[in-house]
Amino acid sequence: MSTDRKARVSRTAALHLAMESEEMLRRIEGFPDNPVAMGYFYDLFRSRGKGESRPSGKGKAVGTLCVQVPEELIRACGARPVRLCSGAQAHESVGAEIMPAKSCPLVKATLGMLESGGQLEDLCGIVVPTTCDQKRKMASLLASHGYPVHLLEMPPVKDSEGARFYWQESVKELALTLEKWTGVRLNRKSVQAAILERSQASRVFQQLYALQCSQPAPLAGKDLLLVANSYFFDDINCWRQAVATLCMELEARVARGQGAGARQAPRILFTGSPPIFPNLKVPVLVEEAGAVIVADELCSSARLLHDQAIIGEGTLADMIPALADRALKPCTCPCLADNRDRERRLLTLADDYQVDGVIYQAFSGCLPYELEQRQIGAGLAQKGVPMLYVETDYSPEDMGQLSTRVEAFLESIRTRKYHKGVKK
Amino acid sequence: MKKFAGIDIGSTSIKIAITDEEGTLVAHRITPTGSLFHKNTVAAFESLLHEAGIGREEIGAIVSTGYGRKLFKEADLSVSEITANGVGAANLGHSAVRTIINIGGQDLKVIRLDNDGHVSDFAMNDKCAAGTGRFLEMTARNLEIEVDELGSYHENSRGVPVVINSTCTVFAESEIISLLAAGHAKEDLVAGIHYAIARRVARLARRLGVEDTVLFDGGPAVNRGLVIALEDELMREVVVPELPQLTTAYGAALLAGEYVDTEVERCCA
Repeated sequence: MSTDRKARVSRTAALHLAMESEEMLRRIEGFPDNPVAMGYFYDLFRSRGKGESRPSGKGKAVGTLCVQVPEELIRACGARPVRLCSGAQAHESVGAEIMPAKSCPLVKATLGMLESGGQLEDLCGIVVPTTCDQKRKMASLLASHGYPVHLLEMPPVKDSEGARFYWQESVKELALTLEKWTGVRLNRKSVQAAILERSQASRVFQQLYALQCSQPAPLAGKDLLLVANSYFFDDINCWRQAVATLCMELEARVARGQGAGARQAPRILFTGSPPIFPNLKVPVLVEEAGAVIVADELCSSARLLHDQAIIGEGTLADMIPALADRALKPCTCPCLADNRDRERRLLTLADDYQVDGVIYQAFSGCLPYELEQRQIGAGLAQKGVPMLYVETDYSPEDMGQLSTRVEAFLESIRTRKYHKGVKK
Repeated sequence: MKKFAGIDIGSTSIKIAITDEEGTLVAHRITPTGSLFHKNTVAAFESLLHEAGIGREEIGAIVSTGYGRKLFKEADLSVSEITANGVGAANLGHSAVRTIINIGGQDLKVIRLDNDGHVSDFAMNDKCAAGTGRFLEMTARNLEIEVDELGSYHENSRGVPVVINSTCTVFAESEIISLLAAGHAKEDLVAGIHYAIARRVARLARRLGVEDTVLFDGGPAVNRGLVIALEDELMREVVVPELPQLTTAYGAALLAGEYVDTEVERCCA
């Protein structure tokens, strides 16, 4: 791309991103009684949308894609991980010029973001796990556009011992690359400190997430997703403190019995392709229609922070495999072969959080989620949990139809609940 | 006796149904949506009340549905057209209806009902208007015939229906024009178009599984040709209600009756 054209593309993308962010924040903030502590996160996304970058930690930045990157290793090298997955249509339209029309909007947007030079804090390299085909192919495209790329080789299954060994070797390879990119050698102390730092962050997230078990749930899902989403780029310690503050406020809400929606609001579990700001289209629509998303099974939220590395002995030779296990074993990404895995997780969540229904979003072009959809829907139905499957992308054009479908789904849940109550 | 109103504000037409406390339809009206749909809805509602000799104060509750449902602020409640359509169809007196196929001005819906007549599942087309009422209007215009003549053209088709490959409204338009130019009979073209739509609908319906009686409603259900094509594609008989455009508005009116009941319960509790 010529420099002149590149400048124009960046300017337009930045303008559209600002418009999109403002519009989404207007809707998110438009709900009554948002927690005061959410202000931190609203401000964070507002300034990011406007391109006013704020210092999000020290050191060089290492870009990551997908949850399987053991970010502790990046921190242990004195760098900061920035997850690059983009939810902006502004970026998607740039990416659409280099990617096929059928490809997933997330991959298009991420590539578009890197093309247009948006939100790129001095990246010293990008780690791309070999999750789905599109991410794999994207890695080559990124490399040909001049970015240092490390392909983090992932096995397509996770249960066999062979896969586990292969993956641990891949993570060791990553450690070597990170040392090269940052010029810092990993040691026992730095890795241990990074594990601890992330565990603390993960613990407050779990605390926040557990609060959603309460009847009624204290936090709207659109806020929960925003909180988790900001972990993509925020300084880990500032983030942890902000979440802790939010938890305190929510505990008071739970004590008062104050919920995020109406008392009888259907409790929804959200799963599928990850909603990433500003594309919180479907979650926001669901809650505008009167439901509350109380739990999720998403790589942009619960799957991101639910697990911690457990280390028995603090030697580097033990810690790296432990990190590898943490990043792969609990992961329920549909790019892994077993379809039953995610279904089991969804059923557990549905039970724990007493959900009334599941909303399953698949981005057009995201084959793994599309492929698992039927089987999971049938499995849930068997246990009496209804599921709504929606295929969508980052464009706002399907809002009318989406809102009709979401409302009809919620109405059918309400009717069923009401008649169950009458029969009792 | 109180009356209840259901107003279905669709992209093409506004449908109003008024029922009594027993759920019997006492008055109805179908009027084009136009561009000033709010004004048109209010006007249609008022003139319907006037014509039927019903006072505004007799209306116990109004439920709005359809694309314009949220913009009609006078309604006591708004529900999605899927719920309203399900309720309406379940109460039309066809006992074994488990599948509803609704074709509207700009969308296609397939709704599954459970044994209690509640919506158990549904599917809807995505963003585009292929196979909807708009598609039929466009077709009729290209063939220079009226929309309500499509049915008789289909029935008069003597040849093999012409295959229409494009499911996109825009592309189908040029395809139809070139097929016309190639000398195909309008009758066979119309039949081909109906089969193209029916195939699309059947595919959507099969995703949910088709059982027992299929009820076909929405404006295009008055088109006999489309009914024939749908029966062929689904390989079963299809029931069309007497006023297929009105099912959803009727369901909304029934929900208005229920709404009043639950209000009373809430006050007493």
